[in-house]
Amino acid sequence: MAYQVSIFLENKIGRLERVTSVLKENRINIQNMSLIHTANGWGILNLLVSCPERACAKLCEAGMSASLRKIVALEMQDVPGGLDGLLTKIASAGVNFTNAYGRVVEPGQKAFFFIDADQIEDINEKLQAVGLTPVNDDLIYGV
Amino acid sequence: MIYWEKELEVLSRKELEKIQVERLRKTLSQAAHSPYYGELFRKLHITPEKIDRVEQIRELPFTTKQDLRDHYPYGFLTLPKRDIIRLHSSSGTTGNPTVIFHNRHDISSWANLMARSLFCAGVRDTDVFQNIVGYGLFTGGLGFQYGIERLGALSIPAGAGNSQRQIKLMRDYGTTVIHAIPSYLGRLYEVFQAEGLDPQRDTELRLLVIGAEPHTEEQRRRIEEMFGVKAFNSFGLSEMNGPGVAFECEYQSGLHIWEDAYMVEIVDPQTLHPVADGEYGELVMTTLDREGMPLVRYRTRDITRILPGDCPCGRTHRRIDRITGRSDDMFIIKGCNVYPMQIEGVLLKIPEVGADYLITLDTLNGSDEMIVEVEVKRDWFNGDVARLDKLTRQITNQIRDEVLTKPIVRLVEPGSIPKSEGKAVRVRDLRAALKAGNYSA
Ligand SMILES: [Zn+2]
Repeated sequence: MAYQVSIFLENKIGRLERVTSVLKENRINIQNMSLIHTANGWGILNLLVSCPERACAKLCEAGMSASLRKIVALEMQDVPGGLDGLLTKIASAGVNFTNAYGRVVEPGQKAFFFIDADQIEDINEKLQAVGLTPVNDDLIYGV
Repeated sequence: MIYWEKELEVLSRKELEKIQVERLRKTLSQAAHSPYYGELFRKLHITPEKIDRVEQIRELPFTTKQDLRDHYPYGFLTLPKRDIIRLHSSSGTTGNPTVIFHNRHDISSWANLMARSLFCAGVRDTDVFQNIVGYGLFTGGLGFQYGIERLGALSIPAGAGNSQRQIKLMRDYGTTVIHAIPSYLGRLYEVFQAEGLDPQRDTELRLLVIGAEPHTEEQRRRIEEMFGVKAFNSFGLSEMNGPGVAFECEYQSGLHIWEDAYMVEIVDPQTLHPVADGEYGELVMTTLDREGMPLVRYRTRDITRILPGDCPCGRTHRRIDRITGRSDDMFIIKGCNVYPMQIEGVLLKIPEVGADYLITLDTLNGSDEMIVEVEVKRDWFNGDVARLDKLTRQITNQIRDEVLTKPIVRLVEPGSIPKSEGKAVRVRDLRAALKAGNYSA
């Protein structure tokens, strides 16, 4: 199972830099990030990093609220309509997600689509049932 | 027998009010002998003989802490110094201290109220009572001392501090009752543990009395769990003698305030009009049995409310709720009176957030808003947006139910609200009306 690091952030100047400076100090590489802002003055930063457990521990040590969340990555073609095809299949698997993001691996060829799977039971089985195979963890972390 | 003075504790309200009227008349006549009230009553044409209903107390002037300070030290004294046998005084960190004088009758009356209070909580003459608070000018030491002696229990005037010695006293003499401030009992328990002792196993403790420090119901319950016995709330203030003003009975549902000795009013701190039973307001008290230095309609600045209904113990003296703050802390938002302690009380019951909070009153888009910032606990956070949204709604609704106006709740990162030691400012007022206002008021 792969993990992302989710961090609770107030919408204030300098909060994002606090996170990136901790990661820099600990030589942790960021593969991907997405930031969710709410109207209530806070947001959640989702990070895909080279070593999520260590990143999460270091951020907590620095006084931040960080948590590990399960993710599933699916490979798709980096062409027009690629995502649409993938989403149709995911829907047919009965998987409903609230947070997802993508990353191009080889331009024009290959991309990864990440789904926040923390609250979704048996997601791997459901996806495999419609012929989708989650990407291997090593490939996700980009080591 | 569960009453110390049955004839006074279970009086009908009508009989009690009759005593109050008689004593109020006497108190006013006595007060008129002091330089302060003498002049004030002459100016306002107050004639004690005309008082024949309790409601007439509302025609009398209020007395404030500032009045006491302005007429320090002897302005409220009604008797020659030869008749006075003791004084108690507050530290007075700013300006003059406040001082209260007692004659022989006052000390005796106070000792009796204190004995009645302790008896009400279940203390008996067979108890060994260790009084773990400071003696001296602070009223908690001598106030309890005289009450314990009047009741006839064995008193140990241990004073504050030195936990190891306290534990030794408790174990050597078989202490059954302790009086201490709540925060100290937490420390005392830690010392018990450090010594490899368990107060439930290694002492004969059967009852605790706590007071002289604001605390929540949750703190009380924690103390009771540590020591394995009930902890009873004591309320008093030095201007009204000290301890022995109001006390919990065995039912622990509010504190009976001794209305044969004090006239009790709860008023809106802004308008000074009486509020209905059950509503929060400032406690205003008049001494009814003090000769050396009577006080009329003293504004205690303590916020509480009268708990409506009868107490199963049978005492007819009404019950006040625990003190929820100071009237100075009150603010008005959208026409509602709000005390920070009310917000604190709500937050303490929500395990997902920390106890620290910051209230900001600000004008947003032309409308005054109350913004409540609370810290999300680190170990509860799991990155789920919906869960945080739900928590925000839950806190918003619970605060609205308590203070009757809807706040804007903002979750913030842990550690971002300055830690405070009880009295620190937790309210910032940035409203436009104040920005535009002048400072002369
Ligand atoms: Zn009662």
